[in-house]
Amino acid sequence: MDRVEADLDLADVRRVLAGDPEGFEGIVRRWQGPLINLAYRFVRDRERAEDMAQEAFLKVFQQLARFRGDSAFSTWMFSVALNVYRSSLRRRALPAVPLDAVAEMVGRSAPQLALEEAQREELVRRAVAALPPRYRDALTVFYFKDKDLAETARILEVPEGTAKALLHRGRKLLQRKLGALGSVPSSVREAHA
Amino acid sequence: MTTDDLDRILASEEPLVPSSGFAASTMGRVREAATAPPPLPFPWRRFLLGLLATLALSGLGGWTTVRLHAVEALGAAFGSVSAALADAHLGLPLAGAVVALAGTYLLVRLTLGFTGASR
Repeated sequence: MDRVEADLDLADVRRVLAGDPEGFEGIVRRWQGPLINLAYRFVRDRERAEDMAQEAFLKVFQQLARFRGDSAFSTWMFSVALNVYRSSLRRRALPAVPLDAVAEMVGRSAPQLALEEAQREELVRRAVAALPPRYRDALTVFYFKDKDLAETARILEVPEGTAKALLHRGRKLLQRKLGALGSVPSSVREAHA
Repeated sequence: MTTDDLDRILASEEPLVPSSGFAASTMGRVREAATAPPPLPFPWRRFLLGLLATLALSGLGGWTTVRLHAVEALGAAFGSVSAALADAHLGLPLAGAVVALAGTYLLVRLTLGFTGASR
């Protein structure tokens, strides 16, 4: 996060706290993309992700007076958003990963797999979203935050060591779950490189 | 599937672009929230007052019951139970129940009295 962005956030927060709700528009415009994308990683559904992001913005607005500036505004905001997303997922969970689709892919030839790589990646992402909540949250936030462990721990509100352990166990669980998918063919890996 | 495969797949998600009306509709809801009256906090002061009143009434009822029982027991021991005490004995459980009910009613009334109707 750049310094200018952080300063703009703080200026907008002060404006809202001084009684001008229009100051919140800058926050919405700057962070709508990240909040929607984080929600999308949990639900894999654009419309629902936007609804969840809107709820998150509303909660951030309502709780703005609780922001004490101990961390960056964006860290606090993602933490509030994560709690909103967790509540939403408790009310309506993501449909289970279609394991039949995974099984169908096993045994296909390399060219077929290359063609189906997008589907395969989607299955992996859905498998993350269907993990037990604490592993799901850790993995989702970690990759969303470009593998920044310290920031992930702050957003999850856990010590770094706990975040690291959650990531490790989450990856192992995911690998077990996705064992049937095997390794990605080298041709596909090269295409992504 | 290796850890590298997972890393590559999970780190390479294509970002979504928000719908064109997202910011406007979100700000619409924010404005609504800004003009809505703040939620009423729980009326702790009234609740505690009611609780204290209930405890005081229950204590008084209990103490009266014990005292009259003691008088009756002493009276029986000395062979001089009066008709008045006998009446009181029959009425005591009912009196205790009335005191407890009154206290509970007071507590509920004080707590609920804080909500919208009283404003």
